[in-house]
Amino acid sequence: MVGDLAMKRSNEPFFWLLFGAGGMVAALIGAGLVLTTGLLGPLGATRAMDYARAYAFAAHPLGKLVLFGVVALILWHSVHRMGEVLHDAAHVSAAIPLRVVAALATVACGWLLLSI
Amino acid sequence: MNERRIKIEGLRYNPEKDTQPRFQTYEVPFTDDMSLLQGLQYIKDNLDGSFTFRWSCRMAICGSCGIMVNGNPRLSCETFLRDLLPGPVRVEPLENFPIQRDLAIDQSRFVDRLASVKPYIVPAREKPLAEGPHKQTPGELAAYYQYSQCINCLLCYAACPQVGLNPNFVGPAALTLLHRYNADSRDVGWSARAEVANSEGGVWGCTLVGYCSQVCPKGVDPAHAVNQNKATSALDYFGLRALLGGGR
Amino acid sequence: MSEIRTYRRPMGRWWTKNPTYRRYMAREASSFLLFAYALTLLYGLWRLSQGQAAYEGWLAWLASPFAIFLHLLMLLGMIVHTVTWFEVAPKTMPKTGLPERAITLGGVAAAAFASLVVVALAAWWGTSR
Repeated sequence: MVGDLAMKRSNEPFFWLLFGAGGMVAALIGAGLVLTTGLLGPLGATRAMDYARAYAFAAHPLGKLVLFGVVALILWHSVHRMGEVLHDAAHVSAAIPLRVVAALATVACGWLLLSI
Repeated sequence: MNERRIKIEGLRYNPEKDTQPRFQTYEVPFTDDMSLLQGLQYIKDNLDGSFTFRWSCRMAICGSCGIMVNGNPRLSCETFLRDLLPGPVRVEPLENFPIQRDLAIDQSRFVDRLASVKPYIVPAREKPLAEGPHKQTPGELAAYYQYSQCINCLLCYAACPQVGLNPNFVGPAALTLLHRYNADSRDVGWSARAEVANSEGGVWGCTLVGYCSQVCPKGVDPAHAVNQNKATSALDYFGLRALLGGGR
Repeated sequence: MSEIRTYRRPMGRWWTKNPTYRRYMAREASSFLLFAYALTLLYGLWRLSQGQAAYEGWLAWLASPFAIFLHLLMLLGMIVHTVTWFEVAPKTMPKTGLPERAITLGGVAAAAFASLVVVALAAWWGTSR
């Protein structure tokens, strides 16, 4: 009976670290980010999202780093949990396609930031 | 003490006759000091001798009497009929285990998983008898004491949805005992049990639902024991565990 | 033992069956809203890379009732995420001697502060130069 255990070493740790980092970023500043980019900026309470200001932020190397970090980490965090939801609720193993999506989106993000 | 009555709806399943379970309702007179276990014993002694359930010490130390009470994993000896009023009380076998008969489950999956974590001291070094007994400071004892309080009652297995969803998952109590021995200064530590811990059925099967720690009758906190070791397993994965003081 | 014809119960919609499970599922499900926000930002970056007209078109859409509603949902998702994140955080750390509630409240307070800092920084970025 012990022999039929799946003792295969899990590769989870790599994705779990990304999950944890993204989760911490989202937990600490996620609300502030959504407030700023989704409500305060578009509704005119701040001019930070005006084209000139937004462009200046994304053009700066530090701005690029921040944007890449935030987008990529939240992507990897959310994709990990979404996979868990599908496993828990629908008995579907979607981790791999979700990771492909996250990888593509991460590459796209990096490419876009480099082009700005 | 005035006598009152409460209805108990018990899951019935006879493997020799039934293709699926059904419920049977019994009316049990009780006094304020009676546990649910005593209620079940009343049913067996007076109403239906075929009603099957496990029990032993009736004082929450043997871990035999775990059942689902109104959908929650409880020890029947520690659950009181006065608290379940007005009833009816639904009693079922522990979730996530195959039913053998009535409220009795097939525990063999747990027993196998427990064996796989080496739940005994794997000595850090050969200690000849002449050297005398091991000594531990209060701090060294505190590092594992809480996790040693597990009575193998399996309430945490009934609570954990991953036990039900993932047949490879070693489970809360077994992983807690893995941690208990790793944390014991007499034991060689992580390396002895790393293969199980690092596997997909090991710590990585846990999604931190946390219900296991809520239902544990002994305050063992399996959720904590398991999830602390995710960081250790991750460090191990990158070969950093020894580097960062992970030791043995 | 193996001769007994045991019965296996189906799990069904187990996450609806008690408050702890429902809270867990709410926590896990918030990830969909977080994913939506990451994609929103990505989309915005794409518009930004296409030039002023494209970007300002996106900004205008952001001010629409539908986008505002979506962002309120995503904000809710972030709050659910933050609170539940720090609720489970004590289980992932070695014992500190602090009660678990203290770690949770401390974390949520830190998050509230950090998010305020983000808003303040954005305000500064919007007014400077």
